[in-house]
Amino acid sequence: MIIRLASALLFVLLLAGWEVYCRAAGVSALVVPLPSAVLRTLWDGLAGGYLLPHLWVTTVEMAMGLAAGCTVGFLAGVLLAEVPVLRRLFYPYIVASQVVPKLALGPLFIVWFGFGMTSTVVITALICFFPLLENTMTGLQQVDPNKRELFRMLRATRLQTLLRLKIPSGLPVILAGLRVAVVLALVGAVVGEFIGGRQGLGASIIAAQGMMDSTMMFALFIVITLLGMIVYQAAAGLERWLLRRPWKG
Amino acid sequence: MSFVTIEQAGYGVPRGGTILDRIDWSIGEGEFHALVGRSGCGKTTLLKLVAGLLPPATGIVRIQGEPVRGPGAQVGFVFQAPTLLEWRTVLDNLLLPVSLKRRPQPADRRKAEELLDLVGLSGLAGRYPGELSGGQQSRVALARALVTEPPLLLLDEPFAALDAITREELQDDLLRLCARHRTTVLFVTHDIAEAVYLADRVAVMEGGRLSHALPVPLARPRGRDVRYSPRFNALCLELRRAMDGKAESVALERAS
Ligand SMILES: Nc1ncnc2c1ncn2[C@@H]1O[C@H](COP(=O)(O)OP(=O)(O)OP(=O)(O)O)[C@@H](O)[C@H]1O
Ligand SMILES: [Mg+2]
Repeated sequence: MIIRLASALLFVLLLAGWEVYCRAAGVSALVVPLPSAVLRTLWDGLAGGYLLPHLWVTTVEMAMGLAAGCTVGFLAGVLLAEVPVLRRLFYPYIVASQVVPKLALGPLFIVWFGFGMTSTVVITALICFFPLLENTMTGLQQVDPNKRELFRMLRATRLQTLLRLKIPSGLPVILAGLRVAVVLALVGAVVGEFIGGRQGLGASIIAAQGMMDSTMMFALFIVITLLGMIVYQAAAGLERWLLRRPWKG
Repeated sequence: MSFVTIEQAGYGVPRGGTILDRIDWSIGEGEFHALVGRSGCGKTTLLKLVAGLLPPATGIVRIQGEPVRGPGAQVGFVFQAPTLLEWRTVLDNLLLPVSLKRRPQPADRRKAEELLDLVGLSGLAGRYPGELSGGQQSRVALARALVTEPPLLLLDEPFAALDAITREELQDDLLRLCARHRTTVLFVTHDIAEAVYLADRVAVMEGGRLSHALPVPLARPRGRDVRYSPRFNALCLELRRAMDGKAESVALERAS
């Protein structure tokens, strides 16, 4: 509790120091804006309704990309974990695709899907796909050999073994992948908008940059950070809820 | 007619060499056999061969005359480790063999509760395995193997994690249940007294071979006083000597 208080106090002190320094040294608002100005812009943007549509667009893109990427990643992970031939066939490509900077494909997606939401959703989905694929594959293959033997002894079908043994026992690993995907989804959505968005928080940053409005850019950083913290906490909460059983291994 | 027949069964691994060497054994229907031997001599491997979890490299295992080709429905197996599903309650773990076949009925649930009572865990049905002690977990694993009432039961040191008193109670419960259902049993243990108390016949394994066979001609049902009778102690001593390789009388001859 004391630590929390101290860390909040540190934040306030930092902001105060920043404010005082900028005022005293007369730093241009173009380079580093005053915290008080940023907060005022943020408040005006939220209360005046300027930021809300952008926040909404980014949230929707993130949610859609996350849902699509995670679903496809999970299903592909199950498929590759269950069918060794496919795994051996695709594994080199999966390893190769890990090192491809997915965001660099953004311009290509704009050619394919045009400016706007679709290309951003596709980038976000692609980024979320990999952690889910990796972790699902790992999680399903890490099942305790004793438990596999038990299911073999009980003559469980392949589907039963998947649904009642492999997925539940791999769940902690799969959910860790989800937590990574959530953070990446925000990066994907914002950067996707940098490249090809008309609306959204990322597009607004580019617009603010065009107007040399550093104050607005800082306000947008804050909104993005808060959005990220909320979805991360939501994912962590989901994880805690699903793993509320005394889980081990 | 014998229920389980093991004929010249052998097993090996590429880098470990021979683990089991031409095992011959048979268990009559409703008989209770124990398998003793030092750690690492191949007891678990033999049990898995009989269960159909491992294919024999040589020879054959038959259950009711049929060659074993894989895990069969009539076999219950208690593994050396409890092997419970941590994300399921004790009751769900008990009902796992049933629920993999069909939706558990209220009768199955009652049966599971009864078995839980029998192994001394009534009231813990709603707990998760992570909330049980090691000995309690192994009792759940035992009850799980009994829930489908299989005609053949293979047990791999099921009582190793228990205190002496609980162990004696469970031994009596197991004998009672097996007598009631005429279950055929192969029971692996380290404990000489346990083998003598439970079994009609004890096989001694040494380095992947069956070296001795000891019949246990004690009347059934066996009660607490049997454990302290001179006959019982004499049999334990004989088994001990067989494990040391000294008892010539019961040595298994081996052609070639
Ligand atoms: N997968 C394996 N690969 C190589 N060697 C193995 C394998 N499994 C078992 N062994 C070896 O086979 C031998 C017999 O193993 P097994 O598990 O049957 O012994 P055990 O008699 O059940 O021992 P314990 O009483 O300690 O449980 C051991 O020496 C072991 O090292
Ligand atoms: Mg063993």
